[in-house]
Amino acid sequence: MGSVRIGLSQFFSIALLFELGTALVVNLGILSGKDAWVSILLGGLAGILVFLGYAYLYWKHPDLTFTGYTTKLLGKAIGVPVSIAYIVLYLNLAARDMRDGGTMLAMATMHHTPLFILSTLMILSSAYVLHKGIEVLTRTSLVFLMIVLLIGLFSTIMLMLSGSINLNRLLPVMETGIQPVLESVVRQSYMFPFGEMVCFTMLMPYLSNSRKGPWVIMGAMLTAALLLAYTMALNISVLGADIVERSPLPLMPAISKISISDFIQRVDIFVVMVLIIGVFFKMSVFFAAALIGISEVFKLPYRKMLYPAALIILLTSMVDARSFIEHLDEGGRLLYTVYPFFMIVVPAVLILVTAVKSHFSERRPD
Amino acid sequence: MNRNRRGIPVRRSLLLFSALLALMPLLTGCWDSVELNRRAIVSGVAIDRGETEADKYVLSFQVIVSEEISGEKARGIAPVALYTGRGRTMFEALANASRQTARFLSLGHVRVLVISEKFAREGIRDIMDVLERESDTRLTSLMFISKGQPAKDLMSTMTVFSKIPANDLVEKLETTSKQFGYNYRMEVDEVIRGIQIRGGGPTINGVQTTGDKENAGSNDNLKTIAPKAILRVTGLAAFKDDKLKGWLEGETALGTALLQNQVKEFPSLVEDREGGYIAFNVYQSTVKIAAKAKDPEHPLIIVNISQQAALKEGPSTLDYSDPEVIEGLSDRLTAETKNMIQLAVQEARRLGSDYIGFGEALRRENPRGWNRVKDHWEELFKTCEVKINADAVIRHTDMRGNSFQVNK
Repeated sequence: MGSVRIGLSQFFSIALLFELGTALVVNLGILSGKDAWVSILLGGLAGILVFLGYAYLYWKHPDLTFTGYTTKLLGKAIGVPVSIAYIVLYLNLAARDMRDGGTMLAMATMHHTPLFILSTLMILSSAYVLHKGIEVLTRTSLVFLMIVLLIGLFSTIMLMLSGSINLNRLLPVMETGIQPVLESVVRQSYMFPFGEMVCFTMLMPYLSNSRKGPWVIMGAMLTAALLLAYTMALNISVLGADIVERSPLPLMPAISKISISDFIQRVDIFVVMVLIIGVFFKMSVFFAAALIGISEVFKLPYRKMLYPAALIILLTSMVDARSFIEHLDEGGRLLYTVYPFFMIVVPAVLILVTAVKSHFSERRPD
Repeated sequence: MNRNRRGIPVRRSLLLFSALLALMPLLTGCWDSVELNRRAIVSGVAIDRGETEADKYVLSFQVIVSEEISGEKARGIAPVALYTGRGRTMFEALANASRQTARFLSLGHVRVLVISEKFAREGIRDIMDVLERESDTRLTSLMFISKGQPAKDLMSTMTVFSKIPANDLVEKLETTSKQFGYNYRMEVDEVIRGIQIRGGGPTINGVQTTGDKENAGSNDNLKTIAPKAILRVTGLAAFKDDKLKGWLEGETALGTALLQNQVKEFPSLVEDREGGYIAFNVYQSTVKIAAKAKDPEHPLIIVNISQQAALKEGPSTLDYSDPEVIEGLSDRLTAETKNMIQLAVQEARRLGSDYIGFGEALRRENPRGWNRVKDHWEELFKTCEVKINADAVIRHTDMRGNSFQVNK
């Protein structure tokens, strides 16, 4: 894969931002009520286990992307269609994230701006960064990660000072046992956002250090799980599980409770910033993964398909659903019907094939 | 190929130009922007019950007239204006009110929401939905119930310390909550959480105007040294679910606020044996409500309260330098606190509403048991055993030891 090499810290930041992405502002894992944070932690651990599988594939084929070794392992006849399916998946995920982000912006602040305009601006900025190259995207992420973390720190301190946090709202932990938590892990939180890390299989060949790289990414996933669980616990301890459950963007009302002597207040604009940053990086990573896939499968230069792909994402996101409710419902069902196939089943088959092949190739010498 | 002076192909420069042209609309900024001079900032909203279903919601918006607050263009008119709209829903009433205003009603800075007692007795459930759903309004607006009068009156009373009556009301609440008592900040989301408590409800601050209500809305109200009409924070409205059940006053209200751990500071009086009273300032009280519920049908609720106080007024011949005397006084302070809490519990039981959070304590202790009893919690709440452990420390006697009456 070319001469581009991306450092570990950049990979850490892009993985962390990708994970936080939209997950930070939505009511993640809320199927398990006020134990959502437990379900996020468990989901994160499950996600890391799944990622170990991707890492194994990467270690066996450090110079190939996912589409690369799929074609190599399964042969052209099966490998190419599977690769194309993945490209479609990534384009679709990028489109879905853009729809998420656009609608949330429209709900939260920009009531009159047409969704199409919001989406166009977002995809244009994303396309511009990718036009500059993937290393630019990852370096940008380093800067924005700092901003997101600073906003998080600031909000936490302010919430504590304004006395809105009541830890009693998190109690009792797991009042109906562990079953609802596990159910929400299976239905939601191990796939979203942790299973989506599958798209990093397309980026990992750029890693500057192939031994340590996957571990750094897993470190980012763990950090993300902790931060997401913490954010969710914060939301619930400020608003109560009932309000969080009914809010599509619970971070927003939680942060809007910040009011210090009626002087520091209305800081919910920070959440909008976090939302835009998160959506931008999540979408861009999917977009990049799709582009790399396209350029590999169809042997095209990487930049050639940039704008057509952007157009596809834009249009997909527009025709995805008539309403946000429909969009969310669809997304919720995709999480436990379609995605597991791409994120677990296919990689599992590849791991099996790789393991068998390397087993036999090791035997051969004796 | 045609080239201009710099050597850029004409076609390319045309393309660049049109791209720049396409980007131009972005320079105007947000699609949604409303300039400040097109906004009317709403500082408070009063919600009254109309007579018929067709105008069920009567919303009065207290709008700030910015020129009158500060600025050279002041015309000497009232600093706020009140616009009223009616409708079958809150949203319709808002739309209706905007027919009268020249500017967009901007709800981002609403600090006070007052609901009339009449509406509160009927139920506030339907009011709350739009308040949390609408993205412009904020959860940190303070809620009040107007005691025994239309909420609109309270939005149209001129006040002394702030030109904007809503701000004055907020400041009044904060002053009283910091110094004397049982009223405390009650914000929109707290009311919603209160309504959602099984078997309980929220408690909301009461507010009323006293004095000459006729001329309360005129500048004349403030021309005398003693304002003719005064807006005052008073009482706690106790709810069962979303319906107002009764008003709590005095020690009962104080006990209730103590149980909700919302009291910052309050004066507490102890009767002196020689007659008269000794006054303490209780500057810290921490309450923890726990439950013992092996058998959820017969729970024991334990209220632990610890307080710190300072002697503020002790016109008596008692020897305050004697630790035993102070100990004795703190015992009586404890008894006083216990009494308040007992009054609060009794009143809550009389009203049949667990707004003091005993059910929540039981739920934290024994979640499975709670699930079994939550449907008939009202009955259990009335009969369950309550144990109050109070502890008070008198930290100091302020700037003097004994009273001068001792050395006479």
